[in-house]
This record gives sequence, structure tokens and C-alpha cells, in this order.
Amino acid sequence: MRIAVAYKWAPNPQDALVGSDGSVDWRHAKAGVSEYDPVAIALGRSLADASGAELVGLSVGGPDVASPMAKKSALARGLDRAVVVADASLQGLGATETALLLAALVEKIGDVDVVLTGDSSIDEGSRMVPTVLAGALGWPALTDVRSVSGTAGDLSVERNHRGGSQVLRLTGPAVLAAAVDAVVPGVPGVRDILAAGKKPVEEVALTALVRRELGSSVERVRIAGPEVRDRKRRMIEGSDAAVAAHEIVAALRADGVI
Amino acid sequence: MSATYILVAGDARIGNLVATAVGTSITAVVVGDRGVAEAVAASGVEKVVWLGDPGATPLEAFAGQVAALTAAARPDLVLAPSRPADLVLAGAVAARLSAPVYTMASAVRVADGAVEIDRSVFGGIARETLRIHGPVVVIGDGGEVGTDGGAPIEEVTGAPATTISVIETLPPEHAPVDLSKARRIVSTGRGLKDQGDLSITARLGEALDAELACSRPLAEGVGWFRRDRYVGVTGQKVTPDLYVAVGISGQLQHVVGARGARVIVVINSDEKCPYFGEADYCVVGDLYELVPALTAALTEAN
Repeated sequence: MRIAVAYKWAPNPQDALVGSDGSVDWRHAKAGVSEYDPVAIALGRSLADASGAELVGLSVGGPDVASPMAKKSALARGLDRAVVVADASLQGLGATETALLLAALVEKIGDVDVVLTGDSSIDEGSRMVPTVLAGALGWPALTDVRSVSGTAGDLSVERNHRGGSQVLRLTGPAVLAAAVDAVVPGVPGVRDILAAGKKPVEEVALTALVRRELGSSVERVRIAGPEVRDRKRRMIEGSDAAVAAHEIVAALRADGVI
Repeated sequence: MSATYILVAGDARIGNLVATAVGTSITAVVVGDRGVAEAVAASGVEKVVWLGDPGATPLEAFAGQVAALTAAARPDLVLAPSRPADLVLAGAVAARLSAPVYTMASAVRVADGAVEIDRSVFGGIARETLRIHGPVVVIGDGGEVGTDGGAPIEEVTGAPATTISVIETLPPEHAPVDLSKARRIVSTGRGLKDQGDLSITARLGEALDAELACSRPLAEGVGWFRRDRYVGVTGQKVTPDLYVAVGISGQLQHVVGARGARVIVVINSDEKCPYFGEADYCVVGDLYELVPALTAALTEAN
């Protein structure tokens, strides 16, 4: 069995600087393996260990994806190897284009039985890559997955379902998006990082993929800063808690919210 | 006239999406039981295509067929509510049409053969307006069940994927909480040192007749709250009259989830905490003193 985990090398928008005109400056935002992807890698590692499968990381994106730092960070989390497509033209790709490329990559490496993904990426956060990927492969998708067990052709999947849970059986390939808290992934240790340096990483050229282009043209006609309400920002000094409390109650009463 | 397809998986609450697509010819593709198809037919759509009673088959198994029949109609715009099974249908349609897909849209306009979308990007740090020529899939808040008219229901024979089946479904252990309708919310963050200390914010919640919520680390990290009580960009989006944030520094991820609140009170010991920049009342001090004092003052005032 071969298990693939699609991961993203992405910066945290929290660290980006946003101009009042809506321009986003990413220079100070350090990239990392996107926050929920380690959960998918950890789920994949357990399944691979239990079934004797190979665990392959897949990533597409800008040139950073193939940097030594990005490769090591991903591999140190438990992948056996990684296959990446890094190209300047892929920087900031949308969900559909990312998913279509990942599908082409899955088809290129072949014999993949399951693709795992995180819940959503830290920067785009659309939650759509796993579902578009499944659509492109013609496979079923399940999201909010808590656990996976079994072997290729007979997998048992537990997922969150309408506030409760559901156990499903899969007898063919599928894309599974991990629930954000399916497992708490460990932090890679020095040994993991050293071992990661020796694991193979294959770079696939964009031209080597059978790529499907977007069927629509997209034009960005306007950018703007976040929609922030004008707030009062009234400072209330709290060293005397009782005084502060009465001031808050009076203010909330005046605002008509209590 | 432009054509819109709305994708529905087992839940007829699509009122907002119908409102978004007004002025276009709207077809709803419904996966789920007949009751869902009938409720959708009475939602202001022009036509319902129903894939028949799914029985025990998981709704996601119909994604391929939904994609095939939606793509064949070549709609200009495809809308789907932001719910798990609907996202799977939407993903399959986007793949089939090679169409871009957008979430977090605040407005969608269909005009002159193009679709314009206003959306927030990167978790809410900025906004953009996009103009798309060609098919596009937009995910939005479904809203409530619509009540308008009785569209015809065309039943097509369902041909779900056969490699996926349900073994067991377990109901929720607790009734799910819908914070989106709460009028007042007391939200707790990492400023609280110990799980036992939650009693002080719980008492404030009682005094305010408020729902309790939290920032992400308290739900996904330490597990002091269930996930449906966490407010943030990947959690609940809330619009109460009053939002009291206790010991929450104001990571953007959280702040975005409560931006719709009418009045925001932030209690934090750090006068430089980022959340003060988006608060109405910025209370600087020790939450262990301030929260009980506020609870007492409210109880006294009542």
C-alpha cells in the first residue's frame, strides 16, 4: 500500500504586514509546514506503520517548497520520502489549481491508495483542496476524519459527523482530510531532523506533469484592508477591580447591551 | 439569463444562497431524502434536480454524479453552503469544470457575463474583489430554509460511488451549541492558568446570561472546551450584542471570528495586547480580580 500526504509550505498570515490599501507584505512571515498538515502526516504514519505501507509527502508551490528547510521540516514529521513540484509560477496558487496539480502528481507517482490532507491551510484556509483533489481523481472524499485503520481496499475510517461520529468502510482509493484534532502531532526531535536529511526528495518539473488548466479567467479588480468596525477603544484601568467593574457595567448599560 | 446551480447535501438551509443568486435562473441539485428536496423546492429556486433517496449511502458518495450533471449544464455560477458534505459536492464540481473555488465571500454579483466576488483573504487580514469570466464555485453561509414558491422536482436515478459505505453512526454526546445566535458571549483564552479557574468565567457568563466560548488553544490544545464553543476563523463566527474576551491576546485567527459583535470588552493584563486595538472597552488588569468584581457588580445591578 502507498499512502500519500499532501502538505503545504506556507507562511502564517498573522505575521504578514497589511497596508491600509490591502497590500500584503509576506517578507516577515516565516513559512512552515502548514499548521494542520502535521496532523495528516501523523495519521498517515500510524496507518503506514500498522499496514507496512510507504508514506509519501506531496507538495506543490513556489521555489521555497524545494528548499532544504522545507524538505527537512516535512520529512522530520515522519514521511518516508517526498515528491515536490516547485516553480515560481506556482506561488500563491488557488485551491482548484493546487488540487488539480496534486491530482496530476498523485497520478504520476502511481499506485497511491489513500491521500491524506490537513483540514485546511494556514494561509488560504479554504478547506477545498482535498475535495477538489478527490473530484479530479474521481475518488470519494471524506472530511473531518478522526482515525483510519486497515489496509488498501479495506479501510475503516472514523469521522466527525453532525456533532457525533460515523464509521465508514472504504473498499477503493479515497482522499481523507484529517480533523484538526484527530491526533496531537509530536514535535520532531533532533534525531528526526537528522534522519530527515537522509530521506529522498524527488523534484518533479512542472513540465513533466499532465496539467489541467483553469477553465476560467480570474482578474483581481480591487484590494482593500480588512473590514474593521470603528471601536471605541476606551481604556479602563483595572488596578482597583471594583471601580473598574462599575465603570464597565455603566458603559454596557449606556450601550444598551445589558 | 445567467444560470446558477446550488448544491445541497442533506440540509435544506440555503436561503442566503438563493438570495445571492436572485436574478439568475436557479437550479438546485439535491442529495438527501425527499423531505430535503421538497424544502429546497419551496425556497425560491426554479427547479430541483433530486438524486433520489440515498438510503444508507453517505451523501459524499454522490459527488461524482452531482459533478457530471452540473458540469453538463455549464452554469455560470455554482453555490454551495459551507457544510462538510456540501463542500465535497462543490469540490467535485470545481474539479469537473476546472473552475476556481472561493470561500469567505461577502458578496457575489452576476453581471455582463462575469461573476464578481468580494471576499476576505488570508484568514481576514485583507479583502479583494475578483472578476471571473467562466464558471466559478462560491462557498457561502447557507442561512435558513427559504420560503418561496414550489419548484418542480425532477428525480434522476442516483448512481453513488460503491466503494464507500456507512458501518455505524453515533449521535452527538451533547446537543451541539450554535453560538451564531447568542446575544451575549463570554469567551476565555490562555490567560486563564488552570481548568478549575473556568468557574470564574462561568459565573460571569451566568450573571450576563451569556453563552460561554473560548479561543482555539482552549478547545484544540488543552481541550477545556468542546470544539463547537471555539470562536475563530476556522471555528464559530459570532455576532452577539456583547462579546467579553477574558485573557485572549487577540491573535487575528480569533479576532476575525467575533468581529461582528456590537460591543467588545477585552480584559487583559497586558496593556499592549493586540485585541485592545479592536475593542470598545479595554480593561487592563488581573482577570482573577476583574472577572469576579464584574460578576459581583452585575449581580448587584440586577
